[in-house]
Amino acid sequence: MNGRPDMSVRINKLILRNPVMPAAGTFGYAAEFSRFIDLNQLGAIIVKCITLEPRLGSCPHRLAETASGSVCTIGLQNIGVERFIKEKMPFLRTLKPPIIVNIGAQSLEDFARLVARLDGVGGIDAFEINVSCPNVKKGGMQFGTDPEAIYKVVSTVRQATDRTLITKLSPNVTDIGLMAKAAVMGGADAVSLINAPLAMAIDIENRRSRLGRNLTGGLTGPAIKPIAVRMVWQTAQAVNVPIIGVGGITSAQDALEFIIAGASAIQIGTYNLVDPTTLVKTIAGIESYMLRKQIAGIGDLIKSLDVS
Amino acid sequence: MDFGRGVNSLFEIISNEHITQNYYKLTVRADDSPVPRPGQFYQIRCSSSTDPLFRRPFSVHRIVEAGNFLSVEMLYRVVGRGTEWLSRKKSGELLDILGPLGNGFLIDESPDPILLVARGIGIAPLYAVGEEVRKKNSKRNIFILMGARIAERVFYETECGRLGDVFLYTDDGSRGFRGTAPELLLDLAQGKRIPERFCLYACGPPRMLKGLARLARELHFDGQAALEERMGCGFGACFACACPLKPGEIVRNSQWGKPSLHWSADGTQVYSMICKDGPIYDLKEVDWDEWTA
Repeated sequence: MNGRPDMSVRINKLILRNPVMPAAGTFGYAAEFSRFIDLNQLGAIIVKCITLEPRLGSCPHRLAETASGSVCTIGLQNIGVERFIKEKMPFLRTLKPPIIVNIGAQSLEDFARLVARLDGVGGIDAFEINVSCPNVKKGGMQFGTDPEAIYKVVSTVRQATDRTLITKLSPNVTDIGLMAKAAVMGGADAVSLINAPLAMAIDIENRRSRLGRNLTGGLTGPAIKPIAVRMVWQTAQAVNVPIIGVGGITSAQDALEFIIAGASAIQIGTYNLVDPTTLVKTIAGIESYMLRKQIAGIGDLIKSLDVS
Repeated sequence: MDFGRGVNSLFEIISNEHITQNYYKLTVRADDSPVPRPGQFYQIRCSSSTDPLFRRPFSVHRIVEAGNFLSVEMLYRVVGRGTEWLSRKKSGELLDILGPLGNGFLIDESPDPILLVARGIGIAPLYAVGEEVRKKNSKRNIFILMGARIAERVFYETECGRLGDVFLYTDDGSRGFRGTAPELLLDLAQGKRIPERFCLYACGPPRMLKGLARLARELHFDGQAALEERMGCGFGACFACACPLKPGEIVRNSQWGKPSLHWSADGTQVYSMICKDGPIYDLKEVDWDEWTA
């Protein structure tokens, strides 16, 4: 093999220089990480879930660490679409990687209005539809656990934009393949999975939830990785669109498991908070693995699980 | 590209001593990083695996500068697996540290006496305030109200005695005043054993801070508090460390920019992020009822 391996991947209209991107909700609006890494090295950039109106999110206290992970509820806190466009897009437009905006809403009408508003904004390359947040009462996971609702949300968004559409799926379902199929039927160009499994942690001293009045949260971090890899593999059997794998990735080794299981790209979430340089380390690690294994293009690795 | 030296790097341990009970003092060399202000904190990786996972926040306890040499001391209590891991680290070893992070205490030049009000390990960041005040004005009076649940848990009294006048309290009265810190403060004020005008700095459990905030309104004094909360990142990306503020009472100044405030759509509620907008707050601005609910 001559030279460096080809790490670029294509997700519909998006061309990623490598398969590594952050996971929505753990990367702020990207600028927070510019003091730690060169954002232009990333395959793509995903920003925090945006809703039509600003959202305060979950009440304190929002985070409880558990074994190799955390039960966490932010509740889609965000500054709302207007402030996002005004305050965050100018910086995001200066970056080279494709910009993916994660979007959330409580109704089909709000999804349509939100996408209509964002579709006219320059510098946005794709949308990731959040039908899987475990921490909001309306919208979120309520959409993502019903194939008919997924279909309706995705087709509503599809009608409002020609940009690449990714649907982020919830693991809180019996048959992930069915949910992925519904998203693809609705017009999704790709699916990303998994969002956080619904979870709980209890303080036995006062017999209260460790998330206080929030009671439950989503389980994040390395603890969920084997579930996520399994679900990516199952989804790869069910649909033919690109899959973006996410869930507990901390390193190139973890990322490669997802890619071999069937993911064309991967997202890193919780571990960015522990080590803000994880994304660039993972890119370098995947490249050295490809060099060591003499793999010329990342396409040769995707869905290459040996099941014999 | 330069991403800021010392923002995320390895710090050498100068010492990591056991003080008493389960309290330790960590000293690291910080020559390459910005000089911290009292009230700021460091996020220290307290693990060599994914369990425990997140960094732990530690407030600045002492800042020692000598020429190009800068060392920072952090006082901590072993309470779980992260701090237990940290307590086994030896001098010469390296720690993965992010910081200094967050806002510092506002320390003015006024001659008014200062009150440091702590419970348990809460004395850690307040000691730094005391030393800073001493450095600026050796004559300014410092009163320290410190305590714990029971006499056996009281610690750091001798060290604090070198900084100012110490008043002890315990919940059961086994040492010093019987009662809580706010009760002791009220007792001292009513007995005129402390001056009428003072500036208060506090660190301790939420209920203590809430009590002090109520007293601040009743007795008309100014106070700042260092808040503690579980943190994901420490640099404003994860939004886990939300602290509710009172919309009409938010304090902003040249040091406290509060870049991470999040408002409800109707503008009646506001959350700040402790890591970016705090961890130091004016006692008046925090919505203590919501915070302690």
